[in-house]
Amino acid sequence: MKNVRQSLLLLAVVFGFWACEGESPQVPLGEFESGVLIINEGAFGANDGEVYHFTGGENVTADIFESVNNRPFAGLIQDLVERDGRTYLVANTGKVEVVDTGDFSSLGAVADDLDISRSLVVYQDKLYISDWGPYDSIFNSPESYIAVVENINGGAVAKKIAVSSRPEKMEIVGGRLLVANAQNMDVVNLEADTLASTVEIPGNPVKFLRIDGNLHLYARQSDKIFFHRINTNNFSVQSTIEIPLEGATSNLTLGRNGEAYVVTSTGWPDYDDAVAKISLSQGNVIDASIYRGSGFYGIGFQAGENRVFVADNNGFQGNGTVIVLDENGEEVKTIPAGRGPSGFVFK
Amino acid sequence: MRILLFFTLVFFGQVRMAFGLADALSRADSLPAYGDTLDLLGVEVFSFPVEKYAQGQSVIRIKERDLERFQGQAFTEYLQKQTGLFLRQHGPGMLASLTMRGTSAGHNAVFWNGLPINSPSLGQADFSILPVGGFDQAEILLGSGGALFGTDAIGGSVHLHTRLKFNQGFQAKVQSNVGSFGLWNQSMQAGYSSEKFSSRTQVYRNFSRNDFPFRNLSKIGTPIERHDHGRVLQYGLVQDLAWMISPKSQISSSLWYNDTDREIIPLIGSNTEDQQQDRNLRWVVDYFYFGEKNMLNLKAGLVDDELIFNVGSVNQTRQYFLSGDLEWNILPEIQAKSGVRQTFVQGNLSSYEAEESRTEFYHSSNFLLKENLRFSLNLRQFVYDGNFAPFTPSLGGEWMVFRGKGQELGLKGMLARSFKVPTLNDRFWVPGGNPELLPEESYSAEMGLVHQLEKGAFQLEQSLTHFQMWVENWIIWLPRGSFWAPENIRDVHNSGLEYTFNAKYKLGRTVFGLNGNYALNRAINHTDVNANDRSAGKQLPYTPVHKAQGQLEVERGLISTFVNHQWVGQRFIATDNIGSLPSYRLWDVGFRYQFPEKFFLAGQAGFQVHNVLDTEYQILRLRTMPGRNYQLNITIRL
Repeated sequence: MKNVRQSLLLLAVVFGFWACEGESPQVPLGEFESGVLIINEGAFGANDGEVYHFTGGENVTADIFESVNNRPFAGLIQDLVERDGRTYLVANTGKVEVVDTGDFSSLGAVADDLDISRSLVVYQDKLYISDWGPYDSIFNSPESYIAVVENINGGAVAKKIAVSSRPEKMEIVGGRLLVANAQNMDVVNLEADTLASTVEIPGNPVKFLRIDGNLHLYARQSDKIFFHRINTNNFSVQSTIEIPLEGATSNLTLGRNGEAYVVTSTGWPDYDDAVAKISLSQGNVIDASIYRGSGFYGIGFQAGENRVFVADNNGFQGNGTVIVLDENGEEVKTIPAGRGPSGFVFK
Repeated sequence: MRILLFFTLVFFGQVRMAFGLADALSRADSLPAYGDTLDLLGVEVFSFPVEKYAQGQSVIRIKERDLERFQGQAFTEYLQKQTGLFLRQHGPGMLASLTMRGTSAGHNAVFWNGLPINSPSLGQADFSILPVGGFDQAEILLGSGGALFGTDAIGGSVHLHTRLKFNQGFQAKVQSNVGSFGLWNQSMQAGYSSEKFSSRTQVYRNFSRNDFPFRNLSKIGTPIERHDHGRVLQYGLVQDLAWMISPKSQISSSLWYNDTDREIIPLIGSNTEDQQQDRNLRWVVDYFYFGEKNMLNLKAGLVDDELIFNVGSVNQTRQYFLSGDLEWNILPEIQAKSGVRQTFVQGNLSSYEAEESRTEFYHSSNFLLKENLRFSLNLRQFVYDGNFAPFTPSLGGEWMVFRGKGQELGLKGMLARSFKVPTLNDRFWVPGGNPELLPEESYSAEMGLVHQLEKGAFQLEQSLTHFQMWVENWIIWLPRGSFWAPENIRDVHNSGLEYTFNAKYKLGRTVFGLNGNYALNRAINHTDVNANDRSAGKQLPYTPVHKAQGQLEVERGLISTFVNHQWVGQRFIATDNIGSLPSYRLWDVGFRYQFPEKFFLAGQAGFQVHNVLDTEYQILRLRTMPGRNYQLNITIRL
């Protein structure tokens, strides 16, 4: 029975893929393969991270992990990665849950030997999980690593590759794993699973982006942001788009027409958050504040609909809210979300 | 002699029947002269009764015998199991904060022998590091006590006391408590007292491996696992001294050192291995002068707290207290007490250093208007570093409406304002602390009925109180950019009911006792932190609207047995009331055997089973609590 179901799921995935290519789907998509997944990180000390599912209008399904699997996620969701019909929910409380992308049923987990997991990539049937490692006595992370799990459904950590402090997002280029760390970028040799080199990066790296098909690394400092184009042969910074922008956060999403949206925060004493619209092709700020508020904790762009989704944590006092904007920052609607909404997956 | 003793104790308010009405009547004629105390021998060392000027307020009295079977355990356990109060408990032996009348953890003031012991940096007390053993008895005053007790007493106040006696000779006591999950508590106490001098020393060591099984909800298949990071080791010393210097003056001193070393049980789904050490030193010295028509009290104290989190984060605070007050009879019907308290606070926290000077002026009066009607009026002005906290008055009264044969019915009420000055962390924490914060303040009104009945072998005392309270400028920490910062943002309206009863029936040699508490606490938040917040109009998180508790006790000769029950209603997880935890009920049973006189040992032994039905429950979401567990305790007196 399980095999039949898995075969059906595989079929669904395959046909789903074809559907994207413009063919008519033969098998209906899984329940969670359309709409928008809202990632709710959860509140520190409460482990109430969850995923919500928004399908338009007023239709929001809360806590889909718990409702499908009959147990709480019990962690803080740092990242959600989809790959080949599997969805990896990376918890910074030290675990990775693997669920079926279509129905969110549990397929496995990496439950032991992780510390502060941040993100994940899949390469040749192995999982590579970036992890800050344990804090030292002054809350630094000198023992950061990439955990290697030799099963795409999770299981034991087979190996830990020591990397620079605080690894975050990763990207696979050829047989190399690029790791965006808090201060620099590491290059890991995936044949040997060893750290090959460390590249100095201006600004604090955040994540990798494909801009016009080229690999870029988004980095920021207090008064400007950088889009470093990475040379995929020698992994050096080939060129940089530098845009002056005060108080940029790590929350950035690419829009269309070479535009991007960045959450900024003034900090003390006003604590004003805003959404800035920038042009990557022009290398300038189009509008430093298309929308203002407080508690902006994530951002995403819904292609096709051309909507900007802004996650508002409502001060973590209760659940958060998603504010849907048009490309000019006009509020279209709000969607109730879970605790600390932090990101989106648009289907 | 006995009459004299009774007379004096009544005068000092130490003998009060259940709800504080009886002494109103017993003082009907006139207030006796102070000098009467001095003929007393073989009585307790004098300390000022906390509820003397708290007419109209509800009081929970906890006596030595009530605490006996909780020896060495956190005070949390007693309060959770035996009262209508709810504590937000992070696990057995872990952080536990008290919520009174729907207010937050910092909205109750905690005193030990008259010294305020809430942490000045955190603004609250962790009831898990107040082990039963550091005090002999306690009173809990429900409702606003700002005028009477100063900062923090918005929802109520908790008063812990050691009790020392004169003229008892040599006395010693050894207590041991063993139980499930490695529980092993031991305490030794020895004291000597003569007519004029009394000393008692107690040392204790409390340990629990805390490796209880729990369902790991974060893992596939939710396997049952055991905690391997919850060990608690605690030890301490209590030294009490008293000296009757002259027939008119007494000096007493108490010192309590408590050291707790805890492995913090992680939240389900977390793999943290946090450690916390708390070292608390409290020392107080009191001087009393008993004049013909007045009484002088000078008090000095020190509270030194050190909290070390994960070795690296060291947080130290020290408070020095000096106070003086004078109580006198203005008229035969009016008794008053006026005083001033000076506090100097030093903080050396992991992220900042701060110093603060606090001055408080207070005045209390008791008016005996009629034989059956009395009032308390309290006034206090608190000044901290030149900032005036809200001036706090309170007015409470008790009126014996009806007194018939074996039956009394009284009415009580109180109007009060209270306040809480922002904690050191609120004002100075780096980053985020806001020195501009205003004190939190509250207005409250309450009214209640008190009923006592005695019919043959049956006795009943019951009381019902309704309260309304408005708390403004409530401080909450909000994420602001890359850090969190506190703001005076929340307004809350609290209202509720408290019902308590205590019944006794004697049938031959058997005494049946039944007591119970029910608390209804509505704590409605009136503030949204931003336009998208959905918190206004909702119940505050982890504040159960309902809690009920009841205990049946049967005593016959040397044996007594009990069944205790508590039911805690649904608790919301966050301010928007979307997620909640289900209600739970727990049953405990136990028995106690008093060694007979001819037995070679004096003392008693007891055995208890907690959570008899092995109920799986969470007080706070994903915080584990133990299933069925056992305890055996033995007390030997020398």
